[in-house]
Amino acid sequence: MSRVHSTLVIAAAILGLAAAGQDLRTGAAATKLTSEIDAAGGYISAPDLADRIVRGDSGLRVLDLRSRAEYDQLHIAGASHIAFEDLAHAVPEDATVVLYADGGSAAARAWMLLHTRGHRRVLVLREGLYEWIGRVLEPRLASDATAAERAAFARAAETSRFFGGIPLTGVPRADVATGYWTGIDRSGHQPAGMSKRAIASIRRRGC
Amino acid sequence: MTAPLSETGVLGPLGVLLAAPLIGFAFGWFLERGGLGSARKLAGQFYLADLTVFKVLFSALLTAMLGAFWLDRLGLLDLSLVYLPETFVLPQALGGALFGAGFLVAGLCPGTSCVAAAAGRIDGVGVMGGMLLGIAAFNGVFNWISGFYESTPLGAVTLTDLAGVSRGVGVAVVTAVALAGFAIVTRIERARG
Repeated sequence: MSRVHSTLVIAAAILGLAAAGQDLRTGAAATKLTSEIDAAGGYISAPDLADRIVRGDSGLRVLDLRSRAEYDQLHIAGASHIAFEDLAHAVPEDATVVLYADGGSAAARAWMLLHTRGHRRVLVLREGLYEWIGRVLEPRLASDATAAERAAFARAAETSRFFGGIPLTGVPRADVATGYWTGIDRSGHQPAGMSKRAIASIRRRGC
Repeated sequence: MTAPLSETGVLGPLGVLLAAPLIGFAFGWFLERGGLGSARKLAGQFYLADLTVFKVLFSALLTAMLGAFWLDRLGLLDLSLVYLPETFVLPQALGGALFGAGFLVAGLCPGTSCVAAAAGRIDGVGVMGGMLLGIAAFNGVFNWISGFYESTPLGAVTLTDLAGVSRGVGVAVVTAVALAGFAIVTRIERARG
């Protein structure tokens, strides 16, 4: 093997290993932040947020941290767009603020920023817009659903229609994540309530 | 400046039109320089007689993967804007088998047939003609087979999505597999003299 080949192989090996190291390091930091927010009761689930919006909670401000273009394409009803750098001086003191982005990490960083500045009434939509679509706009009922799941789905379908969503029935069991109706599945890193296939289909739609 | 340049608006429609033939020309140039315009060399891959194709394609894959990953992490490329083709398991498995059979019989694939034709090889022109006929035939029967064509959909899914691991870990694994592949291929070539 020539010197050029050896150098390229070594460079590829270093970059490949560093890729895993980089992800594991950011993953560990993200896990620590998630535990901190959890401990402070800083998370809200998409169905709970939907209930508060439906009830017309006047003390609630929902802030979308994604880009303006993404916000224009789709956002939670009543949410305002805000850039990360404007957060510190644009968050009202007298309201409960709910932060969301695509997944959970950007909103978690924003929560930390506001928390260190003394804001205590700040909540994070755990899995962001993915969770909103997967659990509020498009609640899914497995084809072999239990009676309890059907009852929960009937309530979720009503909320979904309120927001102009489409409840999905007859969904293969594999497409309904574990813990979908019983609470948030915290074991994996996939968005709560959604299977990988559902996430892929959202990505395809460009939300 | 953030890539992809077309999606982020850095390159307008005219820029994209100009970039496409330049990239196509460069792609063909490097395929030809890599020796992939020769059907003998390509068919040699299937009999383990000449493993150039494996080395060229895996080098390209590794370079593109490491480049895309690190450019994304350095903020120079937004991977969420990069187009991901959808996966349809059965139709793509059948299509892959058909593609492989055609590749073996012709000794050329679509890209290399263009390279061979441009280099004046008559077999390249023949494969290109066959390819165009195949495209026309596929369009003719598409309505009959569209049900199968869209069956077993998985969406725009990646290997790391399926394995449930982070993108960085996936990059490391593919890098290790590719480097191990290079080592094995080098041994096979040495053993065959």
